[in-house]
Parts: sequence; structure tokens; C-alpha cells
Amino acid sequence: MPTASVVVPAFNVAKTLPATLEALLAQSFEDMEIIIVDDGSTDDTAQIAAQFASSPRIRVVTQANRGLAGARNTGIAAARGIYVGFCDADDLWVPHKLATHVAHLECAPDVGISYSGSELVDDDGQPTGVSQRPALQGITAARVFKRNPIGNGSAAVFRKAALDAIAYRPGFETQRNWVFDETFRQSEDIECWMRLALTTDWLFEGVPGLLTQYRVNAGGLSAALDRQLASWERMVTKLRPLHPTFFDQHEDAARAYQYRYLARRAVSSRDGKNAWALATRACVTSRRPLIEEPLKTIVTLAASAVLKALGPAPISYASRLLAR
Amino acid sequence: MTTQKIVHLVDDTTAGGVMRMLDHLLGLPGLADAADQQVMRVNRTALSFGRIDADVIVSHLTLSWRGLPALVTLRAMHPSARILHIEHSYTRAFTALNVSAKRRFFAMLRVGYALFDQVIAVSHTQANWLQERRLVNTAALRVIQPEVDLTDFRALPAPTGTARVIGAVGRLDRQKGFDVLIKAFRDTKQMDARLLIFGDGEEKAALQALAGDDTRIEFRGHCTDPIAAFAEVDIVAIPSRWEAFGIVAREALAAQRTVLMADTDGLRDMSHGTVVNGLQIKSWITAMEDALGKQFSAPTPAEAVYDGMDYATKWKDVFFNDGTPAPSGAVASFVANHQRAAV
Repeated sequence: MPTASVVVPAFNVAKTLPATLEALLAQSFEDMEIIIVDDGSTDDTAQIAAQFASSPRIRVVTQANRGLAGARNTGIAAARGIYVGFCDADDLWVPHKLATHVAHLECAPDVGISYSGSELVDDDGQPTGVSQRPALQGITAARVFKRNPIGNGSAAVFRKAALDAIAYRPGFETQRNWVFDETFRQSEDIECWMRLALTTDWLFEGVPGLLTQYRVNAGGLSAALDRQLASWERMVTKLRPLHPTFFDQHEDAARAYQYRYLARRAVSSRDGKNAWALATRACVTSRRPLIEEPLKTIVTLAASAVLKALGPAPISYASRLLAR
Repeated sequence: MTTQKIVHLVDDTTAGGVMRMLDHLLGLPGLADAADQQVMRVNRTALSFGRIDADVIVSHLTLSWRGLPALVTLRAMHPSARILHIEHSYTRAFTALNVSAKRRFFAMLRVGYALFDQVIAVSHTQANWLQERRLVNTAALRVIQPEVDLTDFRALPAPTGTARVIGAVGRLDRQKGFDVLIKAFRDTKQMDARLLIFGDGEEKAALQALAGDDTRIEFRGHCTDPIAAFAEVDIVAIPSRWEAFGIVAREALAAQRTVLMADTDGLRDMSHGTVVNGLQIKSWITAMEDALGKQFSAPTPAEAVYDGMDYATKWKDVFFNDGTPAPSGAVASFVANHQRAAV
């Protein structure tokens, strides 16, 4: 049995899958398996996966399309490792990522979720100069809710026992258990992390370093914005019965942080109208981001205002300066 | 066997369910000849409980940092007594929902449990958690599921006809999850169904507000006689957020009521009853609507008369067996099954 399993959900990712798999095969921690879940792809994903399947470490599971959550759940069901990581098929792991997380989980038996920071790269795999550097220690459920330190779906390695602790089988499911809720097409990550935080006692803890290269695509935010907000609200509605007083206490602040996050995404894609609307909405919803993280909140507001008033040139100039 | 003196330590905050379990234990005929049992009320945050004249001391206290000095003193002052602890309170779900500094909490539990000769879990699920989290040395861990006398529950006539009345019994407290039950019940489509809530507590006003103008929901106040409460209902709902054991489920099953229970902690030990996933309003609506329509078939014959002999034997074993026993077969096989099921 391999010590670790890495699940790669793959839906029409012929272009990026090879680089993701090369990076996983180059991991310094070798006692691992890679499970590619071909989620009903209609491009060349299946052929590419088949080419890589000659590696003894790679297994391919094929299914009719079930979405990201459904592909990850299939991967979890197939995983044999005591640690399970996820790497979406357009992201890259740096070579010592898995070794670092396995060492962390071995040394800290109460930790169920080990994550790290990420470097954001563009469509061509070039660094954007932006990174996710989350808090690493003292992570409470409130922190997960407000700041989602895991950041993206390719950042964390889980103890299989922690995933098993939240697994369930909906009445209509005949194949295998659900860990991620497949009825979510967005916010499936935070929904899962929050269920881990509110129904299990496994600790979330980070390790230093930017160990994932997380790809952000430039366009397409505004179309997805309403859906993204709606799915976040659906997550809150779904999970509130678990702990109503927790949500009473933290919901507004978490919502404000969510608006601020989307405002920053809008700034990145140079969408001034949405950026300003979201940034101001964040401030109206709760003062907590301004009190808890004044610098980041003010910078977000300022960048949104400049972008809306003056267009993208000053922001692009500033980010070029910062990237130097 | 000479009579051994056993002192049970409880404090004023000890829950009603624990006291009922203790009453039953004190009156067990199978133990009467071997054990002279007494209950001692203590202040758990005192520095010392003083000298206790006993061969075996059984703690039913809730561990806390403030309570540790008294336990250290207890251990130091009674080097030759066997000191046991029964973990009535803490579970995985309790920790998830109530503890923000988890590392510090686990450290407190590890220090606390280490002071006892034996720690007794009240459910296999709880024991599994204590082991997985390495809170108790495996050799010192035992499982004894609490029992109460179920004779009167078994004697209740089984429900007949169509299931129509749902009952919920317990303190009106966030732990019991009655808020979820009321919200879900309000959305059930059976207009002739009823929901009876037996209990009192600080959440009463909030729960009544949730029930609103739904006349199908009735609050019956504190329940002095659970048997009378069960007599009125066809279905017993247990939507607890955490529950070390959940004696209500045992009682309801003995009374041949349909049991709907949350998939949490000690409730996972129950071999019968319908498990409802994850405290979701939708799952509770579905579970209640399914259960409400059902026709009760002919009642199954009542089980053999309860004499408590097996239960007495388990307690004799922990009271009088000085050697540290091997981990109980039940725990080992439960853990093995659990892991197999999880793969």
C-alpha cells in the first residue's frame, strides 16, 4: 500500500494535464500513487491519461461527468494511502510538497489537514507576482470560515481518517460515499473544509513555503460572480444548523471577507465596476475585515476605486512595480 | 469475595442521565453482595476532596484545567485505591463544536486521564475517538455502555396503526438539536402529524419562537416520567449535536418506538433505528416524512426479562480486577470493523 495518494480530477484538461502529472511524478516522496479521475472528458484527456498510465504509480479511473466534487469523491474511494492530497489538473506541486506534508502529518498526529501557501500563475504558467500566504498555526473554525487558509483545492494533504470522518452516503447514491458535496458546483471546497472544522476535531495546520502553483484564469469572473456568491450563501444555509451560534457570531464577517476576496479577484481581472461594488459591499457588511486586516482591506478599497475611476493602467503599472 | 467499598464522585452539575445510570448501578442485585457503594458529592474545582475511605473511587466528574488539582491530590492521597473515571461528557462532536483551543484541550485530557487506573468509555464510538486521538493509554481503556432498567419500557404497548406522533425528550439545550427538529417538522407535509417536546431549559423561548403558529407542535415541559412520555408517541427523534451515549435511544428501542437519530458519537453504537445524516434540515424532513406514513406491523415479542446480571459482571470486572486487562475484544473488533467499513 502506498503511504500517500494524490487525486487528480481531470475534465477536458488535455492542455495542462501533462505538466501536472510530470510535477507529481517528480515528487521527492516516492511512496505514493497518483489517481487520475477522468470525469467524462470529451477532449484528448483520456489518451493523455492512458499514456501516463504506463507508470506504475499512476492509476486511471474513468466515469461519466459528475463535476469536480464527484471526481474527487471517486478518487478518495479509490485511494489506498493513509494520506490523500488533491491536485487539480491545471495546478502544479513543487517537488518537495508531498514530502513536506507527509513529514508534518507524521509528526503532528492531531493534525488532519496539512496545507501550505500557493504561488498564483497565469494561463501560460508564468508567476503573476501574487501569492496566497495563509496563517499556518492556531486555525479555528472561525478562521477557516472567514479566511479559508487552505486557499485552493490543490493546497492541502489530508489524513484519510479525517476525510472518512465526514464521509456519508446519500440515499440515491449507489456507487460510493461522498466526502465533498456533489450538489455544489462552486464553494465545494469551503463547504467541505467547514464540515471538517465543525463536525470533527482534526486540526488544520499549515507548513511554510509556497508549495503549490495555482493557476488563475484571467477572464470570466463577472459571469461567475453571482453563482459564486449564491453557492457561498447556500453553503452557509446548509451548515448553519450544525452550530447556529457560531454562524450568528461569524457569518457577517465571513461574508465581508468573501466580498473582499471577490473584489480582489475582480481587480486582478481589471474589472473596475465589480471590484468597487464588491469592495464597498464588504465594508458595509461588516467592519471586521477593516479592524482585523486594515492594510489589506484599505489596499483593496483603494485599488478598486482607482480601477473604477482611472481604468486599468495605474493598477497594471503598480503590479509591475511590485512584481520586480 | 469480601465486600469492597466503592465511592462514586459526582458534582452538582452532573447530568440527570448520569444520575439515573448511577441509581441503577447502586441498586443492581448482582453487585449488592460484593460491593458497598456510596455516592459522594464534591466540588470539582476544590483543591482536594479530602481523604476518602474506599477501595475503589469512581469519578463521574467532568475534566477541566480547574478540576485537575483535585484529581492530582486524589491520586496522591489514595495510592492504594483503584481510581476509575467514567467519561460521560466528552466526545469528538463535543470537541468539534465547543473547543476552539483543541491542542490545549487534548493536553488537559491526556494529563487528566493519566491520573486514573482505568478510564471507562460509555460507547464504542467514544472509545474509538479516545484511542485515535491518543488521549487514553489503550491498556487503561474499557467500554461499558450505561444501562438503566428497561423493564417498564418493554412493558409499554407497542404502537399500532399509522405512525403519527413524534416525540423528543431531553433538556431544551443547544446540544439536543431540537431547533433542527422543529424547523424540519414545520416543513413536513403530513398535516395530522404532531410533535411533542418533553423537557425544559434555557432554549425554551427560542424553540417556541421557532415553532411559531404551527399548532401541531406542543411543548409539554419537564418530563418526570419518560415512560408516560413514550406512551404518547409513535416515533422518537434524537437530533443531538453531540451525545456520549444517548440512553434515550435505548429506552425508545425497548419501547418498540421508531427511532430517528443523528449520526453522531455514541448514537452510532445503536444497532437499530434510522440514522439521519448530518443535522441537515432536508434530511430530517425526509426522515420524518418517511417515518410518519408507516404502518406499524404486529409488535415483536418482548425480549427476555432484564436482570442486569451481565451489566453487574462488567462492573465487577473493573471494580475488582486489579491487573490492567488487555484491551477489550469489543473495542478491538469495533475499531477493526470501523476501519474496514471506512476503506
